[in-house]
Amino acid sequence: MATYSPGRRRVVIALALTSLFLLTLDLRGNQVLDGVRSGFGILYRPINRAGEVVSAPAVRLWRSFQEFDDLEEENRQLRAEINAQRSAEISAQNAIIENQDLLALAGLESLASYGSVTGRLVGQSPTNFDQQVEIDRGALHGIRVGMAAINEAGLVGKVTSVAPQSSIIMLVTDPSYAVPVKILAPKDEVAIAATSTTVIPVADSDDTAVATSEANGEEATEGMVETTTTMVEIIRETGVLRGQGSDRLPRVSFIAPATAFGQIEVGDPVFTAGGSTSLAPPNIPLGRVLNVITRAGTAGQELEIEPTADLDRLQFVRVVLYQPASEVGQ
Amino acid sequence: MNNVRARVWVTRTVLVGFIVLSLQMTIATEIRVFGVVIQIALAFVVAAGAASGPGEGAKAGFVLGLMYDLASGLPLGSTAMSMTFGGYAAGWGRRYRLEPTWWMLAALAAIGAAVGEVFVPVIRVLTGETGVFGARIAIVLPVVALSAAILSPVLIPIARWALAIRPAEVRVTDADT
Repeated sequence: MATYSPGRRRVVIALALTSLFLLTLDLRGNQVLDGVRSGFGILYRPINRAGEVVSAPAVRLWRSFQEFDDLEEENRQLRAEINAQRSAEISAQNAIIENQDLLALAGLESLASYGSVTGRLVGQSPTNFDQQVEIDRGALHGIRVGMAAINEAGLVGKVTSVAPQSSIIMLVTDPSYAVPVKILAPKDEVAIAATSTTVIPVADSDDTAVATSEANGEEATEGMVETTTTMVEIIRETGVLRGQGSDRLPRVSFIAPATAFGQIEVGDPVFTAGGSTSLAPPNIPLGRVLNVITRAGTAGQELEIEPTADLDRLQFVRVVLYQPASEVGQ
Repeated sequence: MNNVRARVWVTRTVLVGFIVLSLQMTIATEIRVFGVVIQIALAFVVAAGAASGPGEGAKAGFVLGLMYDLASGLPLGSTAMSMTFGGYAAGWGRRYRLEPTWWMLAALAAIGAAVGEVFVPVIRVLTGETGVFGARIAIVLPVVALSAAILSPVLIPIARWALAIRPAEVRVTDADT
């Protein structure tokens, strides 16, 4: 019945070594441990639900106490913002439709090309060193590890763990998070970057319109010539965005500087770059450049990015059911 | 007798662990102090250590840490290791005081919680994560330690029950060592 046993040092060493062993196994990927985790999740889920129900009044009370003033002020600001944005919304919707049509015509991928699953937040990271949230949708709804999570404002994070009925999403601010991004020029700088020539046949010629491209060097046929222009985004830089923790903004470090397209400025929009190995599809808005940090020597620039999604007040998250070609076969 | 006691110990600790974890995952993640998540699970572990000694504290830390890792999706063993050290550190002070007062137990719990919480980023660094050590730890550690101290008067009796420890046993076995 000894509380202090002579072998207590041996006990703590044995427990630490066991932890290290489990940690190594888990980090290398182990199906047995995955099974244990899944089983524990099934066992623990009803207890957690009960905990949510019991603690809900206390949580609501705390929130009311803590957030009332902030919410009131935010509500006032949002109402003013809604009024200002009502007119912009109509033209924006028109632009979205045009954009989707153009992307479809050019055979390019857009976010609308992929299915998605919307999940409600049911938990947050219990630790002080991770930025994660849990949603109530999982493998049974088609979610897989690595898929991008977004909300109406932009990229939120990526799925890092999937159970049958729930998933854990690592937020873009987590130090372990990384995603390829592109920094675009603001809309007012978007240039006319491509020109195509369409030859419309005269009325008595063939019924079928013949289109040729100057770029292809093909000979133009007789008829009316109509020149159209295409607006193309200017990519200032591409790089990798990494989270820096909850108290710091995510940063982009560059891998492919392209200063020919202008200097990066505060306020430039940042989108996901996509690509065959990126887990996130292209063109998801991520945020805006808040600060350009110039580092000494050949280290190059770093950018601090202010995410457009408010990660502190997430309620619903949409998981984009997209997997890059490199992941699909696995 | 030892087998019976071990079974009681494990059953009660796991049961209490589920409740503590449930509180950790729900109320503690919402009610943050200076943006810091209060570590109720760690507070229970250090309370167990302060109430019963380093060996029992380490064992309770290991069991609750494993449950914590399984429930939160963290790498299995990472929190188990930090809580093992936290429970051990909280129990270490019992070597020097046979019958500590409530505030001494609270101080031991605070020290154990600080040790346990500081091991979290240390273990993350060992597993290859970067950027986990920041200025924020200067806020996290005091809040976690203070909250463990404040919760200790409530959690220590629960920990004694869970570990099937009576104050008299501590006295006798301390005398042995």
